Order: sequence, then structure tokens, then C-alpha cells
Amino acid sequence: MKIKISHATTYKYNSIVPKIIQSLKLYPSICYNQEIIEWNTASSSGKIIESHIDSLGHRVQNIFINNFSGQLKISSKGILKTKNLSGVVKGLKERVNPICFLRGTDLTKPCKRIKRISKEVEKKNTDQIDLAHKLNLVVSNSIEYVSGSTTISTSSEEALKQKKGVCQDFAHILITAARLNKLPARYVNGFLLEETNSGENTTHAWVEIFIKDLGWVAFDPSHKKCIDEKYIRVSTGFDFLDASTIKGVKTNYEGNEILESKVSINHCQ
Amino acid sequence: MLSRTAENLFWSARYIERADSLARLLEVGYRISLIPNTEAGYNNEWESILETSGMKNEYLKKYKNISKEQIIFYLLFDLENPSSVKNCITSARENIRMVRTAVTLEVWNAINTSFHELDKNMKDTKNILKELPEIIEWIKKQVNLIRGTILNTQLINDGYDFLILGTYFERADFTARIINVKYFILLPSINYVGSDIDNFQWSLMLRSISSFRAFQWAYGGQEITYIKILDFLILNMTCPRSLIFSVEKIHHHLDRLTKFYKQTSTSKKKIRSIYKKLKNLNANRISDIGLHEFLKSFIEEINFVYKKFEQKYFFGLET
Amino acid sequence: MYNEVYKNLKVRKFYDKIYDWAKSLPENIIVKKKNEAENLFKKIGITFSVYNNFDSTERLIPFDMFPRIISGTEWKKIKNGVVQRALAINAFLNDIYNSGEIVKAKIIPENLIYKNPAYEIKMVGFKVPKRIYSPIIGSDIIRVDEKIFKVLEDNCRTPSGVSYMIENREIMMRMFPELFEKLKIETVENYPHYLLDVLKSLAPKKCNKEPKVVILTPGSLNSAYYEHSFLADLMGVELVQGTDLFVDESITYMKTTRGPEKVDIIYRRIDDRFIDPISFDSSSLIGIPGLFDSYKSDNVNICSAPGSGIADDKAIYSYLPEIIKFYLGEEPILENVKTWRCYKDDERKYVLNNLNKLVVKEVHGSGGYGLMIGSKSSKKQIENFRKKILLNPENYIAQPILELSSVPIFDKNRLSPRHVDLRPFCLVGANKTKLVNGGLTRVALKEGSLIVNSSQGGGVKDTWVLNE
Repeated sequence: MKIKISHATTYKYNSIVPKIIQSLKLYPSICYNQEIIEWNTASSSGKIIESHIDSLGHRVQNIFINNFSGQLKISSKGILKTKNLSGVVKGLKERVNPICFLRGTDLTKPCKRIKRISKEVEKKNTDQIDLAHKLNLVVSNSIEYVSGSTTISTSSEEALKQKKGVCQDFAHILITAARLNKLPARYVNGFLLEETNSGENTTHAWVEIFIKDLGWVAFDPSHKKCIDEKYIRVSTGFDFLDASTIKGVKTNYEGNEILESKVSINHCQ
Repeated sequence: MLSRTAENLFWSARYIERADSLARLLEVGYRISLIPNTEAGYNNEWESILETSGMKNEYLKKYKNISKEQIIFYLLFDLENPSSVKNCITSARENIRMVRTAVTLEVWNAINTSFHELDKNMKDTKNILKELPEIIEWIKKQVNLIRGTILNTQLINDGYDFLILGTYFERADFTARIINVKYFILLPSINYVGSDIDNFQWSLMLRSISSFRAFQWAYGGQEITYIKILDFLILNMTCPRSLIFSVEKIHHHLDRLTKFYKQTSTSKKKIRSIYKKLKNLNANRISDIGLHEFLKSFIEEINFVYKKFEQKYFFGLET
Repeated sequence: MYNEVYKNLKVRKFYDKIYDWAKSLPENIIVKKKNEAENLFKKIGITFSVYNNFDSTERLIPFDMFPRIISGTEWKKIKNGVVQRALAINAFLNDIYNSGEIVKAKIIPENLIYKNPAYEIKMVGFKVPKRIYSPIIGSDIIRVDEKIFKVLEDNCRTPSGVSYMIENREIMMRMFPELFEKLKIETVENYPHYLLDVLKSLAPKKCNKEPKVVILTPGSLNSAYYEHSFLADLMGVELVQGTDLFVDESITYMKTTRGPEKVDIIYRRIDDRFIDPISFDSSSLIGIPGLFDSYKSDNVNICSAPGSGIADDKAIYSYLPEIIKFYLGEEPILENVKTWRCYKDDERKYVLNNLNKLVVKEVHGSGGYGLMIGSKSSKKQIENFRKKILLNPENYIAQPILELSSVPIFDKNRLSPRHVDLRPFCLVGANKTKLVNGGLTRVALKEGSLIVNSSQGGGVKDTWVLNE
């Protein structure tokens, strides 16, 4: 399937920012599931500088801007050709041992509620992939999808407590549950082609779980399934914070920052 | 040199000069307390010393009334007063400690020893008046020791310029402030100008910047007059505490820096114009302009020079 | 307990001259010299601020004038052993951040490395300049008898104390020059020169000029600030704080009065997580935004490399003999201290049954914190640690309670034995290792105490390696 994506993040500043430094991970991953036909990143101000390919295969770029005011727009767009590999992510260029992803983070700390959910899953005579599917299912049912119900710093425990969340929270809960069951798991940022009435899209997040015989398999607990050709993988990490596609620091800035994000994802012929 | 190093050297020297100024100010207070029943009365004088130090408001926030022991303690040792001699010495040492590599071992030892000795000699309010002359002597001695060590052991490089600039930015500011405050506080009514009280106060002011003798020499033991004092404190190049002296020093060292780095700077251009202006002034003209007006604009101009200097060398904003 | 000075009530050969000298000092001279030493230290500014003690953020580190002596033969073994460990540790770090052969060979369990939070995944696959991760390693060595020295731990990140090694010597030479005529003592003053040389050999790929080295300190409130400034001074390099550095277009610069100046090698004395608020702890105020990307794009070197701390882990330490054999094909020259790893069922069982006879340590603890000495702890404290071990076995190891050897100190005016250890500092550069002949002797000043850390009442002595 050929998918066309255009994604822009706009920052608005109400006074002069002495210095902005950003680290970007905006290139879709290189793997057999997706082929980049064309892809470009651009910044409305400052030069984009290539930094390095990191240990998880991200192409890292930087932006440096001094004495900036007004609007900064960072955009990425392009066309990809995708394949449905039944959720298995193949051909990733990374060298990190999957066991690393058994470690917890502040956003994915095991709590009583997660343990309870994990207990609901029948583990006798279950192999790893079955277990992962079962976990994905119970996690899907553990909270209700309510947009805007959580913030970027909501942990899996807090989302479970309030019984609602967005894709980020589903992902955090599944990651926590999988790690609790000794399955390495990680957070994935990307795009999902959805047929919407408004034509508006958002970025999406899901989970990869490491299965001994298969490698990394991608589950989408918000949609109760494994990923297919409608998913585009961009970045990964221990949790939402670690996987974020744009990380930046403003030095000596005391004004405020308004952030807007726009995404369009279309099927193209 | 690292920008922060320059900043630390500058501030270290500036704090030392500030401690010195405070000690001299307190010396005046002490002299007055030895003269029984002066016209203005003790408390008035101590209050004006507090005023001159620029710390009166802060003092009144902490203590309700004006008491000489309390004021002395506040100016010397109070840890809550960021500009007390104790805190000045501590800050001077802290600034140097952060750039130990930029000064000689002798300079560090001089500052560090002052810090440790002052720590040992802290007094409470009870005995403070009795001990005051000794404390003042000690501070002046330490400051001279530190400054002498700087002159004798530091390489005469850019770091040296930043140290000296710290001294003279502080001194220019302090002298301008002391003239301003004395003028206003001590002369509530215009009738007093030129009176005996006035002369007495002016002579105290000369003492507070340790220039009483120098004045006598410079003006051949003539009667102290308002105009002579203005000339002496503002325009006399031989008086090490006159404004023009500090301005000339600042100009000299900013000029050295631009030559050393082979760069131009706004701060140097500005201080040069201030210097030229002062050179062409005379005391009567200042009196015509109005002393207060003159000082106000002088302080503003020096601040402007400082801002530009700080931006270029400490923050790296001007290239 | 091994007494380094006496053997069967007789003074050992190496110590006889010093011992006679010490005994010949009149009481008043000892007191006088002690004061003199204290003043010298104060003047030079050796201070040590202790964490969690806001009232006295500065105090002098106690110095004892009785020197600790190591014979040339003894030193040779220590030196070779320490160099061997330093090389093995760097080979180990290079391996686990690249192909992980030692794990594949099943010599170290994979969980111990990959689940370890000290294993920095951002470093995986990165080619560190000259493959040196940890150029400065301070190993803590204890003496158990006539022949045997053992290594208690290896500090691979930012070991401190080297300034005391140099200052102690300076003080002794100023106070007792006559002693240096009586004995031939190896010099330690070359250390800063060696350190600069080693760091300069580790320039990043994109540096094609004489590399610019700086020392990065957290600031003057840090307990080792004096040392940072001391080293910068003797190496002739700038001592910078985070705010002195900035990154622009991937290049790291320092702010100078002349304008920005490029920096090539950062000897950092701050923790990994504070290096860069973009790539690590976003709340770090002392870090440099963009530094890690500058590092990974080969524009600057950070020493020690982020992620080196995994080699400080005390469970990893217990594998050091195997690590040496695996990478160097040699037998370890210095022994490890027997270590039980609580993540192993049988070893944990032993530990839990013998808590009162063991020292239990957190695998990432340091500075004498995060440990329990069984024989000196109350029942409650022991039970507390039992719970901790059961809850999180990977986080603990246990060792026998060691009798550190003893050397006398001037206690008031008589000589009285105290426990000591030794920390030599091994430098590893591109194709070279350097080690001055000496180290820091730390001494537990409290009678009977085994904790030599200066943060907990320890002092220091000058260490004399004899040139025989």
C-alpha cells in the first residue's frame, strides 16, 4: 500500500528565545514492513543538520537557532510503500539487545492494577506469542479511549486508575504488563492511516513486544490488533518520553510556548 | 579566557573594594561617636552611614530601630545582608575559588586567609563597638594585602584587567553614591549650604573616602568649600577616589582589552566619551548643572558602560 | 589483621627508618607539625564538603603525617595488576557495547548486563574514540597479609582523590625534607602531565588540530570541586561548568572573552544523566543541551564515555577474574574479594543465613553508602537488609567482613594502628597505559573502624613507593 504523509509541528513564542536546540527523530524506520519512496524534513527557521544514526536505527537531526521569535514550523512529509507482515517487524537496523527492554521507567512502573490484569491472563500452555496476544486483548479492555483524558506525563498506573486514556496510555499499560511477564516491550511512535470523515488525522502510538522465535512483533492495544500495512513506524524507545520524535531545549527563555501539530495521512494510488 | 572566569575575577575584586568602602564608612561613624554631642547627633550620622551604604531599606526591614551597634553588626557581619563585609569577603573568596586556576597561589592565599580569619573573628552586637577600630584596621589591612598581592604576583594579562575593572567600577559607583547621599541627607534645607555644619559634614565625607589629608595637600590647607570638594571628588586626577580617576582606569583597562583581543567594543567607546567630558568640565559648571542631575546621569552612563561590557565579555552577546 | 609496620613486635625492614624518626619526634614537635600541616592544607585550600551536611559545607580532610610505605617489589605486583584490570575493563566495555561476545560465550549472564540500568543503550554500536571508554580507573586495594593484596572495587567513572595523593606528598616534602634524603621515594608529581597526555590521545574523529581539553565540573559546591580545579591548574586546561559550554551546528564550544572556542575533549566529572538535558535527564541544569548529539557525531569526546558505569557495578566486579581471562588470556595478578551475588539462588541463600558475618552492598553504592556491615549492625538493621535483598536480589552482593591491614597514625602524641586501603590511579590512552608510582592511602581514623571514606570520618596519608 502506498501512503502519503504530511506532518507539521508548529511552536509559537510570545517573546525572543535566546537559543533553541532540537534533536529530531522524524525519519520513518528502515525495515521490510515499509519502504521510503521519498521523505523530507524541513524547518521554517535555522538549518537542519544531520547528526548520526542512533543505536535504535533513528536518523537523528539537529536544529540550532539563536534569538528566535515568532513561529517555528518543523515539518516532515513523504511517501511510503508498506506491506502487511502480520505484525512482525522485520529487517530493523538496530543493535540493542532486546533484553534491555525489560527495564521499567517512571511511566511504566508495575502497580497492583497491572498485576491484577496480568493475572487475568491464562498462562498455562501458553507460548510467548499467545501470551502477548492475550495481554494485548486484556489491556485493550482495561481502559476506555477518551481523547484528551490524559497528559504527556500520565503513567500507566494513573491511566488505569482513572480507567480512561489515549493511545499513549494503552501503549504504556501494555508495555508494563508485557515486561511484568518477562517479555521485552517498547513504545512506538508512528502514523496510522484511518478513514475519517473530517480528513483530519493524528499521530499514533503502539507497542512492540519481543518474541523469541519471531523477533519484534507490533501490537496496537488501542485497536485490539497487530499492526498491518496501514501503519508507518517512525521512532521507538522505553516509553513515550524516550521515544519522542522531537526533543528540545530553550535556554534562558521565560516566555511561553504554544504547540500545534497537524497530520494528514492519505492512501495514494 | 573563559567568560565565567572573567566574570568571577571581576566580581571578586568588586566585592573586595566594597568591603573596603564599608570599612571606611564605618570608620567615619566611629570617629563621630568619639566626638561628644555633635550638631547632627549620633543617630542621625549612623542613619546617614546606613543610607550611604545603600542598605537602609533592607536594614529597616529586619530591624525596627536605628541603633549603632545594630548598624555596625548589620554592615560588618550580618549574614542576611548580602553586602555585609562578611558576605563581601565570602563572595570574593567564592568567586576566586571558582577560578582558582586564574589567580596566583599568593592571591588565593591572601583571600582565603582573610576569609578564614574573619570567620574566627566574628563578633556579636554586644562587644562590637569596642572592637570596631581593630576590626576596621584588620579589614583595611586585608584589602591592601589582597590588592598588593594582585599587583605584585598576577601576570599583567586580560585576567588582571578584569580584576582591576572590578575595583574601579565599584569605586566609581561608591564615590558617586556617597557624594549624592551626603548632599541630600545632610542638607535638608538650602540654608545650610556653606554653613559650619556643612563644612563639618563635608570633612567627614572626605574622611570616609580616606581623602581628608589628600585634600589638604591638594588645596594647600585652604578652607573647605563646596566647589573645592566637588573638584576634588569628581575632577581631580591625583585623588585615587575621584570619579575621573576611576573613569580613567576603566578606560585604560577596557582599551587594553580591545587591543589584547584585537576587537572593538561599545563599552570602550562610551567610557572614552565619558572621560573626555569629565576632562572638559569644571566644578562651577557641575554646580550650575546641579550636582544631583550630574550624578544621576553619571551613574546611568557608567551603568550603560557596564551593561555593554558585561554583554560582550561575560555573556558573549556582542561580537 | 595484618600490621604493616610490626612483625612479632619487631619493626619491619621497610619501616625501620620512619619508625625511628617517628619515635624520635618530641611531643611538642608532633603537635606543632600537625598544626603546620593543617595550616598548609588550609592555605592550599583542600576542603571537603560533605553531602547532607549543610551546616559545615567545608571541612579539612584529616591528614596523618605517618607515611604508608610500599616496597618496590610489592608495588610492581600492584601496578601490573591494576594495569591488567584497567585494560580488561576497557575491553569489556567495548565488547558489551558492540558485539557482546562475553555474553554469547555465557561467561556473564545476559540479564546482568542488559537489564542493568547502568548499561546505556544509547551507546550501543557507537565507536568510542580509540575504543577507550574509561581512561581513568581508581581501584581500591586492601592488604590481607604478607603476600596478598586484593581489589575491593574498581571505580571506572570519575574516581576522586588523586589531588590528595599529590598534595599529601607536597605537604610531607615541605614539612620533613630530611626524610626524603633518608629514603628513595618514587615521585607522584607527573600525574597531571600523564593525564593530559592520555586525554589528548583520545581526540574525536573530527578533530584535526591539537586537541583542546577541558575539565567539566558540576560546580564549586561539589565535594570534589577542589580536585577539579587542582587538576585543571596543573594540567593547564580550562575548568568549565555546563553554562560555559554550548553546542552550535553540532560543534561544542566554550564561551571565552575572545568569543566561542571549539572544545575537543571533555574530562567530565559529572554523572551521565546530567550531561545533556536533551538526551538524558531533562531536569538537568548543569548539562549542555545538544552535547550528546555532538559526541555521537564525532565532534567531541566525553571521558569517561557515558555508560562506563556498568563496569562499576559490584556484581560485574565479581566477574572480573573471568573478564581478565576472556579478553587478555591472562590469569588475574590481583585477587578479587570473595563475593556472593544475591541474584543467584544458592548464593543468596548463603548470604541470608550469614548476614551477621558479611558486608552487604548495593551494586551501585559508593562512598561507603548503601552498605551494611553485619557484625556492626543491630538486629533491626540486619532484618531491614534481609527484606531489601529479598525484594530486589539483583541489587545486592555480599562479601566477608575484611580485616584491612593497619598502619599507625599519630593519635594525639603516640602511635596507634588504624585500618587503611590504597587507591592507585591507572590511566589508559590510545595504545598506552600510565600509572604514577604511588596512590592514595585512606585511613579509618576511628579506632577499629573499617570505613576509610572521607565522607564518613576517614583521613589520608602520604603513600611512599620505595625505589629499591
